[in-house]
Amino acid sequence: MEILIYGAVTSAIYAMLAVGFTLIFGVARILNLAHGSFYALGAYLAYVLTTLAGLPLWLAALLSIVIVAVFGVLVEKILIRPLRASQLGVLMISLATALVVEQALFLTFGSEYRNVPAFIETKYNLFGVDVAGQRLLTLAVATVSIGGLYGFIQFTRLGSAILAISQDPLAAKYMGIPSDRIFSLVMAISAGLAALAGVMAGPFLSVQPSMHLLPIVKAFAIVVVGGLGSIPGSIAAAFMLGYAETIVAYMVSSSWTEIVSVLATLLMLVFRPAGLFGKRAAF
Amino acid sequence: MKAFKGLDTLSSIGGLVALLFLGVLPTLFTGKYLVGVLTVAAIYGIWAVSWDFMSGLTGRENFGHSLFIGVGAYAAGFLNVHFGLGPWWSLPASMLVAMVFAVVLGFPTLRLKGPYFALAMLSSAVIMQRLMLIFWEYTGGEEGIHDITPLIVNPLHYYWFVLAVLGGITLLLSWMARSRWGLILRAIRGDEATCLAAGLPITTYKIMSLVISAAFAGLGGALYAHYQLQVSPQLFAVVTSITIITMVYVGGMGTIFGAVGGALLLTVMTEGLRNFGEWRLMVYSLLLIFILFFLPNGIIAPIWQKIRNLGRPS
Amino acid sequence: MTIASVKKKFKSMLGALLLCTGLLSSSVVLAQDKPVRIGVPTSVQLQVGRDTLTAVKMAVDEINKKGGVLGRKFEFVSADETENPETGISAIKKLTADEKVDLLIGGYTSGVTLAQLPHISAAKTIYLGVGAASPSITNKVKQDYDNYKYIFRVGPVNAAHQARGLVDFISKFVIGELGYKKIAIVGENAKWVQDLVPILSKGAKDVGADIRMTELFDTQTSDFSPLLAKVKSSGAEYMVVVLSHASSDVFAKQWHDAQVPVPYGGIDVKSMDGDFFNRIGGKSISQIAANFAVRAPITKKTVPFFDEFKKNSSNFPVYSAFFAYDAVFIYADAVKRAGSFETDKVIKELEKTKHEGVAGEITFDEQHDVQAGPGKVNFMFVQWQEKGERAVIYPKELRTGKFIMPPWMKK
Repeated sequence: MEILIYGAVTSAIYAMLAVGFTLIFGVARILNLAHGSFYALGAYLAYVLTTLAGLPLWLAALLSIVIVAVFGVLVEKILIRPLRASQLGVLMISLATALVVEQALFLTFGSEYRNVPAFIETKYNLFGVDVAGQRLLTLAVATVSIGGLYGFIQFTRLGSAILAISQDPLAAKYMGIPSDRIFSLVMAISAGLAALAGVMAGPFLSVQPSMHLLPIVKAFAIVVVGGLGSIPGSIAAAFMLGYAETIVAYMVSSSWTEIVSVLATLLMLVFRPAGLFGKRAAF
Repeated sequence: MKAFKGLDTLSSIGGLVALLFLGVLPTLFTGKYLVGVLTVAAIYGIWAVSWDFMSGLTGRENFGHSLFIGVGAYAAGFLNVHFGLGPWWSLPASMLVAMVFAVVLGFPTLRLKGPYFALAMLSSAVIMQRLMLIFWEYTGGEEGIHDITPLIVNPLHYYWFVLAVLGGITLLLSWMARSRWGLILRAIRGDEATCLAAGLPITTYKIMSLVISAAFAGLGGALYAHYQLQVSPQLFAVVTSITIITMVYVGGMGTIFGAVGGALLLTVMTEGLRNFGEWRLMVYSLLLIFILFFLPNGIIAPIWQKIRNLGRPS
Repeated sequence: MTIASVKKKFKSMLGALLLCTGLLSSSVVLAQDKPVRIGVPTSVQLQVGRDTLTAVKMAVDEINKKGGVLGRKFEFVSADETENPETGISAIKKLTADEKVDLLIGGYTSGVTLAQLPHISAAKTIYLGVGAASPSITNKVKQDYDNYKYIFRVGPVNAAHQARGLVDFISKFVIGELGYKKIAIVGENAKWVQDLVPILSKGAKDVGADIRMTELFDTQTSDFSPLLAKVKSSGAEYMVVVLSHASSDVFAKQWHDAQVPVPYGGIDVKSMDGDFFNRIGGKSISQIAANFAVRAPITKKTVPFFDEFKKNSSNFPVYSAFFAYDAVFIYADAVKRAGSFETDKVIKELEKTKHEGVAGEITFDEQHDVQAGPGKVNFMFVQWQEKGERAVIYPKELRTGKFIMPPWMKK
């Protein structure tokens, strides 16, 4: 039973990260290795705004998400866009950006863990399992935000524009869709979602400068398994991976969990680069 | 006088002078500090050169080079500490182990396009790092294997040995890069489809270059193990791979000797920055961004080109 | 002018320049009043490291105020060894080869210290450890005296002693007073814990404990929910922890948030930090952590040290500080007795050390390892209580407060 609930929470966080990652790839063909940094920055900003600026939590969370979204847009515009011709170049520079952010956080805050306050401090008992309130809230928030995003893409005009660009950039341009502006928008959404994950998960997971690394590895794993560019694929894969990890943690030991995602990536890349639902292959 | 087939007089002299200079340098200073720094720089040079040979020429950037380094180093550690073999056995053993890994990993991953190959190799390195930690009972876990015996006790002599190895490998790989090998690898970088159409056994070449690259990386790893006298999972870290890639970028991708220059420059620079120890990685990353934007051809190679052209009429 | 001659000229100019620089930098001042340099390799980023440095500074200032030792003043320089053997080795190299220190005081992670040992030995520099607990470190002194005689451990008492201290706590308090026989042992997967847990398990069983589960988790773990759930379902009544590098903060928070119905305590280095309770919003309440000293008159020096330390830093000291402070004086006294700074002579005197330190009397066994026992350095178990107050719970003679249960388990 615990596996069911904890697995759901873990999967929810992964889903938030993966969806953002796959979105920017599907639309702009950018493999953004700095995505984990958005997650980290979300958590750290929440810490800073509440502890040092003394803001109430909900305001800090909101500001944090907005700031990171803006940061994401700037990174894309200034660092990534000029190198868009080379996928490898984008990879390198986003990785370098992630390292810079990590070092900046390290230099500012030191390597010790920081405490991000939680929205809900109480504990709930669900079907006989003790769960911290914050974790349940995270699950709820993830569901709402991803659901909202999906609805946005399917049912609004802007969403259709995004879909159009991801399917055929050239044609979309001919149709008068301003691709550059859409890229920025998508980047903002992607970064904001990651920051939201950071804000939600910060209270119960660790907040330290290198916290961006594992999420990006897992997000990449999920996206590869689910199929690059496919949102439903990412969600499905997020749950598969989240549960796989939780099961391994309970049955075997927590040490093996990291390998699960990385191994899944490797195997998928080797045997079925298009992923489970992917439209675009890695060839 | 053609010193070696494919290498012209100037380059040979340049390389020889540089080698002599590096060899003599530590003797000008008292204390063991500089020797230590230069030894590490030389080892990084070996790693950078081996990376450049494969990734620089074929354009398939390998983000998991640290894997070959790590398995070479751990092989040295195991043989030396757990099996009690003399340190000199590590050298061929580390190369062998790294080559095996290259073959096993190369087959499935080399089919993949640029970024995916890079990330597949990255994932492999991460998995290896994890495995080292999981099986801590055998590998010493986070603290690794320590108490490795040194190859040559005198630091200066060991430095000269490493320098000689570096020189030898650079020479060999430069020669290969300028031979038919290099031509084909560069052709693969240009357009694989055409190569296939021309009937070239691309897969073989790709795997062979990865194997050669891995062999020397592993050798470097063993040399490192016998210098540090310990190995730890840190060797597999992404940071190691990125550091090496930065060095090659600084030196000039695909030039082979540029990688050596980049390694030396960056290692010395890092030690100089030691007082700002925590800033080191920051500087590295910023440097990488800077180079990606403004100096995609690196620093060392273009400078060398300019020096060469000094004597030529314009 | 051919290229060759241009290059030659350039090279010779460079060579000359380097020669000059080399000569200048190698001119060593041979004056008798050259200060004694102490190198401090430690984890500068952590509280353990910061407190080590503050303590060394305090000791150095005190010694210099009295005119130094044998006419020479003391000074110190630090190098960050982080928690990583690679960085640790460079730190040692930097201190011994570049900064040319006369003495090394520091250390925290046992794995890092073990990796540094051959390099310290090659540099023939005395090393006084103040933070690493693995017995393997001082075992080397026994295995290879000639090469490793430079190594001493001033503190903490090694993992084996710590295990025995923990067993005492379990037998006399957890079982003896609380009546809990079923325990779970949870620790991080680091060398010192790997050394400690077997001794702990055996000792605990011998005193009647029923060990329901033992698990060592990866130091990097950040989600302990599976682990905590396992502990709960194992039926354990008390959770004994052995933590140092792991995320104790997150562990405590998750234990508190899930309201795990199992009180916990044991060795938790991060919990020794004065601000541990506050920085996690008070969630470590009722946790018991072992400590070597608190602000109580364990020896004559304890209370003055604590107070003086608080003036120099914003918090009370953690364990490495006690030993770092003592280490400087131990060295100074050994030099005075030897009448010289010559390494081998000082080592002989160091071996005879009998020093009243902050946490107890410091003496070394034949392996240069600090001894434990009555009157010497010992464990005491301290509990976090309301408002961040700490009370010594065990040993009974030193008790300053009543044991409390976690808030959700109060009847």
